Amino acid sequence: MDFAWSDQQRELLDAVSRFAREQLDYDVIENERQAIFNHDAWKKCGNFGVQGLLVPTEYGGLGQDPLTTVAALERLGYACKDNGLLFSINAHMWTAVSPLVFNGTEAQKQKFLPGLCNGTLIGGNAMSEPNSGSDAFALATTAARDGDKYILNGSKIFVTNGPVADVLVVFANVDKSRGADGITAFLVEKGMPGFDPSHKIDKMGVRTSPMAEVFFENCEVPAANLLGKEGGGAFLFTRSMTWERGCILASAVGSMQRLLEKCIRYANERKQGGHSIGKYQLVASKIVDMKLRVESARHMLYHYGWLAGHRKSVYLEAAMTKLHLADAWVKCAEDAIQIHGGYGYMTEYEVERELRDAIGAKLYSGTSEIQRNIIASLIGL
Amino acid sequence: MTQPVEKVLVAFKSVPDPYEAAAPGGSTSTGKCVINPFDEIAIEEALRIRERGEATEIVGVTIGVPAVDEQIRAALAMGVDRAIRIDDSRVLDPYAVARVLRAVVEREAPHVVVMGKQAVDDDSNQVGQMLAGLLGWPQATFVSKIEFLDNRTRARCTRETDAGLEIIEVNLPAVITTDLRLNEPRYVSLPGLMKARKKPIELLTCEELDVNVEPLTTVLSTSRPPKRTPGARVGSVEELVTKLKEEAKVL
Repeated sequence: MDFAWSDQQRELLDAVSRFAREQLDYDVIENERQAIFNHDAWKKCGNFGVQGLLVPTEYGGLGQDPLTTVAALERLGYACKDNGLLFSINAHMWTAVSPLVFNGTEAQKQKFLPGLCNGTLIGGNAMSEPNSGSDAFALATTAARDGDKYILNGSKIFVTNGPVADVLVVFANVDKSRGADGITAFLVEKGMPGFDPSHKIDKMGVRTSPMAEVFFENCEVPAANLLGKEGGGAFLFTRSMTWERGCILASAVGSMQRLLEKCIRYANERKQGGHSIGKYQLVASKIVDMKLRVESARHMLYHYGWLAGHRKSVYLEAAMTKLHLADAWVKCAEDAIQIHGGYGYMTEYEVERELRDAIGAKLYSGTSEIQRNIIASLIGL
Repeated sequence: MTQPVEKVLVAFKSVPDPYEAAAPGGSTSTGKCVINPFDEIAIEEALRIRERGEATEIVGVTIGVPAVDEQIRAALAMGVDRAIRIDDSRVLDPYAVARVLRAVVEREAPHVVVMGKQAVDDDSNQVGQMLAGLLGWPQATFVSKIEFLDNRTRARCTRETDAGLEIIEVNLPAVITTDLRLNEPRYVSLPGLMKARKKPIELLTCEELDVNVEPLTTVLSTSRPPKRTPGARVGSVEELVTKLKEEAKVL
């Protein structure tokens, strides 16, 4: 087993670290308070190549393997404190870009992928509904074929990037009598008649990532925007969820590393009772646990990336990676607050925000309970 | 030999990453190197000259061991068209570097040479001036603005001096050294990095260029600056005045 990066990987990852350090280490407090999405940073990331890391070069991407991709996202998470921006980028990459790469027609790929890679287009997906979350395939949104178009009716909730998206992968049922086999994916574009993504939702964390409830009222979608096959939506969704589970918390590993270093610095500088607080075993022990969590999280992430790149089955590993990284991130952020004491609770110290940002990780892309269900079923329970 | 600018030669040096060196617990011994920041500004300016349609080719040149290919690829990734590495592991003094660059200039026949005003590792600030002297070309140093005039046969350069901004005009070809405020270098993008892997890096040696690189200077020793002693708090103006008179002896 060889844990070394190749020269080309190292060069690419160094370039990512430098880009993130010089272009993305901006002040987040005010943007976060006002829930402002940083369009400029999004465009910079596109221009730099982030959104297209995994996309084949013929569609404007970089054709990188999954391991290099997650390691690059980790480096972004380390330098960029805007977890909301990174969450938006992840939603875009795993729920819009990757289904297009795997299931798009040649014409759809040519139309959307170059813009989705270079930062000019923003994507996302719309799956959850007010009455279907963990039981995703019970969705109620319908699509009825009408000549060369489909008519969509229904509503979707928790749509990441919804208010700013140019294209959303929307799941609707073409024939409810077929249950999950009727679920079909559509590429719904901004401005299509009957499509309303304007209802923003406020939230606890990743506040700089815009989210909407979206409505479809006799929304007309050209048949050319059917993604995959009629009835192929459930399979397409499961595949994109597997990618998302494995990769979406890559940047969280970088964030955990940043928190760890911040806590080490603080524990060395802060003196109480005549000692650096890091000399107190209760504090040191917390930081050692953080270190263990970061390292185990990173190993699971890289192992997932390696498996995905070698075309191994990753269904189990994706669920375990998601579950472990989400728990590790929340615990790291919670401990970071505890180590910083009262200061950690104050906005200015930028530790409490990390906890609010982290908690969502136990909910999106399948709750931690759903990940446990998946793992349990795959290990024979 | 006055003719419009077509080719720009940009010389750059690989230096220890100032960011890594400044990081807490960091030291130059991590071995991580970057393009000298002033030279990065020179590269950026060369690219802007080409993007304005005032040059057709940007050639980069540097001196060093194979490890500096990483900085060469960074330059190629920014947009430099091709690069030359003078394969040499010796620490060359500024006059030796200027002589090597003269040989490269004679080989490449650029219409203008741009480089940083100095490297942030040794802060010599001599190579550009020496190169211009060896070539018998005009020089514009510490430049914060470059405009080409008269069908690109002259350059108007704004120089940053202690007394203020000085505007000079030089006939081309010329050597221009760049100051901090000339521009803000673009970042290396990943698509740029992919393209750079296909761009040529030509290897040459001092022997092939027939350049004598015997140093004119010898470094006798290097040492850290003396540690600053901590300041003292005084209780009153009288005490301050007494200390200034008797201890600091500045009054």
